[in-house]
Amino acid sequence: MERAFVLPGDVVGSAEEYVPGDCTYARGGIIYASTAGVVNIDKNGKSVSVVPKTNAPAKLCQGDIVVGEVTDLKDNLVIVTLAFKKGYEDRPISDEEATIHISNVRNSYVKDLRQMFSMRDILKAKIIDERQLRLFTGDDDLGVIKAYCNKCMTGLVLKEGKLVCPSCSNVETRKLSAGYGTGVV
Amino acid sequence: MGENDANITFFKDGLRLDGRRADELRPLKIEVGILARADGSCYIEMGGNKVIAAVYGPREVHPRHLQEVTRAIVRYRYNMASFSVEERKRPGPDRRSYELSKVSREALEPVILTSYFPRSVIDVFVEVLQADAGTRTAGINAASVALADAGIPMKSMISSCAAGKVGGQLVLDPMKEEDNYGEADMPIAMTPDGRITLLQMDGHMTREELKTALDMAMGGCRQVYEVQRKALIDKYNQMEAEIIPDQEQPQEAEVL
Repeated sequence: MERAFVLPGDVVGSAEEYVPGDCTYARGGIIYASTAGVVNIDKNGKSVSVVPKTNAPAKLCQGDIVVGEVTDLKDNLVIVTLAFKKGYEDRPISDEEATIHISNVRNSYVKDLRQMFSMRDILKAKIIDERQLRLFTGDDDLGVIKAYCNKCMTGLVLKEGKLVCPSCSNVETRKLSAGYGTGVV
Repeated sequence: MGENDANITFFKDGLRLDGRRADELRPLKIEVGILARADGSCYIEMGGNKVIAAVYGPREVHPRHLQEVTRAIVRYRYNMASFSVEERKRPGPDRRSYELSKVSREALEPVILTSYFPRSVIDVFVEVLQADAGTRTAGINAASVALADAGIPMKSMISSCAAGKVGGQLVLDPMKEEDNYGEADMPIAMTPDGRITLLQMDGHMTREELKTALDMAMGGCRQVYEVQRKALIDKYNQMEAEIIPDQEQPQEAEVL
């Protein structure tokens, strides 16, 4: 496989031969690199792409783990404002909103979405559709990693498997991630 | 431009005051990724110029009303350190640095693929630590490398270089004495394939001189591009050498 290192503006192929893939653009029938990296030619898909070797901005792909905050709750949909992608903590995502449908919250049936999430929860989820930004939280390590009391906004603490408010003793339920409260993504 | 003082000679035995030929650049040194906090960074020395560029983003736009719905905005801040010139420069933005920030931004913006990052901003900071004529060209060169280092998608790199006229003769990349006492200074910026994104001129040149000077400056930009290219390849090919063996080992194991 070709392993040429290219810079933005270098020719990586012709549009007659290949489909321009990631980190490339086509102009006048010629495909150029748009990012510094290594050329990757997919002989089967007939596409040419560049694998960035620099510290490139995070690109959201299917299967990526992302962290975000719940900014809206509907009857069967949660709207999450994304903060960053796992592994790219220092390249924040700006102004991207993703959704979790009630059917993608758990692997089992969910009757009431408000028992699973609440406004301002910080959660970890997996991207299952990179175009419409649909998320999934069914796995054990996915779900809420930080939640706040609905009555007094104090951070909830996990005690004997229950989420308890340390100041008003309010008990709440969430779709919890295994890493709740640890601060580890 | 200062008046052409009869006492000043710009050439000695056919060479310039610093020993360069008329079409020779000053020594150029580029280092990539020197700042840990920035997404991309670059340090450049162009003769006596010492400039650092840092790139942040794409990130959220603050203040919010500046954001564009369809594309990223580019902000470029050119700033001279108070100790960068002989006489202490009053710190902070002034008329000159506003202008240079604007023209430098416009020199880089055409190659940045801003439509990939709607509602965000790409911030470029250029700090001049030591000035010796041609800081805007040094800043643009550094910013272009820093943008590539930050992985910002670009149509191509940008290289920049000035040509000037001193003592009736055209010279490439004027240094401080030539800039101060010469007749003209013309900084340009362009892509490696020769599309010009910046063209300014201070002073006077005839039409023919301008054409020749433009050719000279474009030749200078091509030389700068080779150094920019080498700096980026050196930095990332090193990393490449560390990564490749790990990827290839399992493949060999399968064959055995």
